[in-house]
Amino acid sequence: MKLAFINGELWTVSQGIVQEGTILLENGKITAMGQNLVLPADAKVIDIKGKIVTPGLIDSHSHVGVMEESIGWAGDDVNECTDPNTAQVRALDGINPGDKGFEDCLHGGVTTVQVGPGSGNVIGGEMLVLKTAGTIVDHMVLKPLSGLKAALGENPKNVYGGMKKMPSTRMGTAAVLRNALLEAQTYGKKKAEGKEQATDMRKENLLKVLSRQIPLRVHAHRADDIATAIRIADEFQIEITLEHCTEGDKIAELIAEKKIYAAVGPTLSSKSKVELKDMGYQTPVLLNKAGVQFSIITDHPIIPETYLHIAAGLAVREGLPEDTALRAITEVPAKMLGLYDRIGSLEVGKDADLVVWSEDPFEFMSKVCYTVINGEIVWQGGKQ
Amino acid sequence: MLAFIHATIYPISSPKIENATLLIQDGKILQVGQQISISADAEVVDCQGQVLLPGWVDAHTHVGLWGEAEGRASYDGNESSGPITAQVRGLDAVNPAHHSFADARSIGTTTVQTGPGSGNILGGELLTIKTAGTIIDRMVLRAPSGLKSALGENPKRFHGEVMKRMPSTRMGSAAMLREWLIKGQEYRKKMDQGKADPDLGLLNVVKVLNKEIPLRVHAHRADDIVTAIRIAKEFDICISLEHCTEGHLIADYLAEAGFPACVGPTLGHRSKVETQNLSFDTPFALYKAGVKFALITDHPFVPIPFYNIVGALATAHGLPEEATLRAMTLSPAEILGVDQRVGSLDAGKDADFVIWSGHPFKTRSRVLKTYINGQVVYQG
Repeated sequence: MKLAFINGELWTVSQGIVQEGTILLENGKITAMGQNLVLPADAKVIDIKGKIVTPGLIDSHSHVGVMEESIGWAGDDVNECTDPNTAQVRALDGINPGDKGFEDCLHGGVTTVQVGPGSGNVIGGEMLVLKTAGTIVDHMVLKPLSGLKAALGENPKNVYGGMKKMPSTRMGTAAVLRNALLEAQTYGKKKAEGKEQATDMRKENLLKVLSRQIPLRVHAHRADDIATAIRIADEFQIEITLEHCTEGDKIAELIAEKKIYAAVGPTLSSKSKVELKDMGYQTPVLLNKAGVQFSIITDHPIIPETYLHIAAGLAVREGLPEDTALRAITEVPAKMLGLYDRIGSLEVGKDADLVVWSEDPFEFMSKVCYTVINGEIVWQGGKQ
Repeated sequence: MLAFIHATIYPISSPKIENATLLIQDGKILQVGQQISISADAEVVDCQGQVLLPGWVDAHTHVGLWGEAEGRASYDGNESSGPITAQVRGLDAVNPAHHSFADARSIGTTTVQTGPGSGNILGGELLTIKTAGTIIDRMVLRAPSGLKSALGENPKRFHGEVMKRMPSTRMGSAAMLREWLIKGQEYRKKMDQGKADPDLGLLNVVKVLNKEIPLRVHAHRADDIVTAIRIAKEFDICISLEHCTEGHLIADYLAEAGFPACVGPTLGHRSKVETQNLSFDTPFALYKAGVKFALITDHPFVPIPFYNIVGALATAHGLPEEATLRAMTLSPAEILGVDQRVGSLDAGKDADFVIWSGHPFKTRSRVLKTYINGQVVYQG
């Protein structure tokens, strides 16, 4: 299958904007890109004059498929709230590719998502990265284990405090996390010494965090929760990312100094909790000024994936440079997920994941004309 | 006297005017148009390149009483102690200092209807207010502006599932609503005979039966909408259809029934089974069928600062721009019964308007100033 889009304005991310550009897709990869290309005779050619092409958008924090919508309890598999530490569970096993949320992805030009458990538990379980088209989740997977989910702040203490169990305070939450890491260290030592012990799936996953094979991705909204995440990361010398990072603007210097990635959002949502009191688009603007690398996220379904481009547009309105906003939904999340060699920019050799927009994708009224994943058109908009 | 000149003005009640002037005095609009003579003592504001619109009117919100970032202590959204609380008033719970008011002004929303949620069959009094002020009683445009009612999932969850009491089904919800309308009819008879003891809840039901205020019925699913219409016809009352999420599936029936719809919150997710067909196709379908409708945020469900995005997306889904703007201004004002005061830029109406840096549906447009009663209440 050879597919070419011609006469488009290509927003490559890594190599600027190519006017009246052609992009050729073969066998799931981008094989040529530029102006005045000679196309293979058997390529299907689509003229997209006046339209804009971006890489497929990447949402580094989503619950698509695992927090299914509109079917109530039966489709909600996002929080295994039976213990504050469920490091052994996998979001992979809870994802339904039939969830309407995947359609939202395609309608909004989102071609790759990181999906994880929610933030009800201090340690929630395995996260993974997948493409957003397909029927068998295993075939959609791009990276089967992309991080371990953890959570600070209101949610775990709300869930377990309500059950009169630990944690019921922020102190308790931090203690549960430290304790789990310490126990995994001990388990790892015994393992290294060849001592016999029963396999513990939870500790096995925490060992991967301790050995920096995967990051701990820590839900933290308030500045003090972010500081706690950084404190614990320093203590255990682990790699973390800051998920939500709502008050990151208040301690942007610290985050920049520690060179920690932030996944910012869902800012296009309501201030539903006390920890969201100061949520606003000043966060990406000020993180950028401080030099923090960050992605913009939907936290789908909190914001439907369809609106990722609008979330980025609102950051632009509040003063984020356009190229930074574009990188925050393409290149940066690709790097955060360790997948920039495959996705996140329009470059020869990368996966053929792209979006054709009716106009500037930061515009509220911009429409997706085509969403392409692995060289296949997986969504085509109506009359444009 | 204050004159805003050289603006692109959308009066809403008439087509867009380029290079136009808006003249205001003492909190009211004096004149709108092109050839307007400005008296020498008027203060003149040059709005070259700027867009001037009436303040948005959001017909369905919970501004000021939902708690949100203030936490549980400030949550006053549903008096869920019983399924019938017709006696309670949103007025007594709305906090003018709540951040949602500042949020509303920041996007040019100058009038909102706010009040109880949808946990109860009869939830209480709604009120329509301006979004600036410190004393709620002085912000009121109309109170009560309706009695809240709810069908569908919420009441049966709040009461049936959580409290193990009626209603636990849609049948139960409809039956309770009918029972209370009948009680209201009997109470009205006693009132007429001078035999009625004061009853705050039944007095409100009587207002509905007398068509002094509408029953504003939360109904997402098509069958719930049809139930609301069935009961309205049985009791000959006025209703508005709140949410109307599946209205596009029965648009012709809605048009025939003649009741208005408040559509939204569409810029959100399909959080419940009854919202599975949530779509921006709904407003366009209602428009084509000839239903009167307003676009709503249901703040905080769609945060009120994103109201212009709601309009932009409805337009992107086919609704003509003129119809969209009307659904955010004059139509909601009519549905709330306050259109003699707000909703369009016409002589004699309140000077509630917004100066935008560009068209409100463009991402990079900003609200420069919001005016209520001729006073600046927000400056960007």
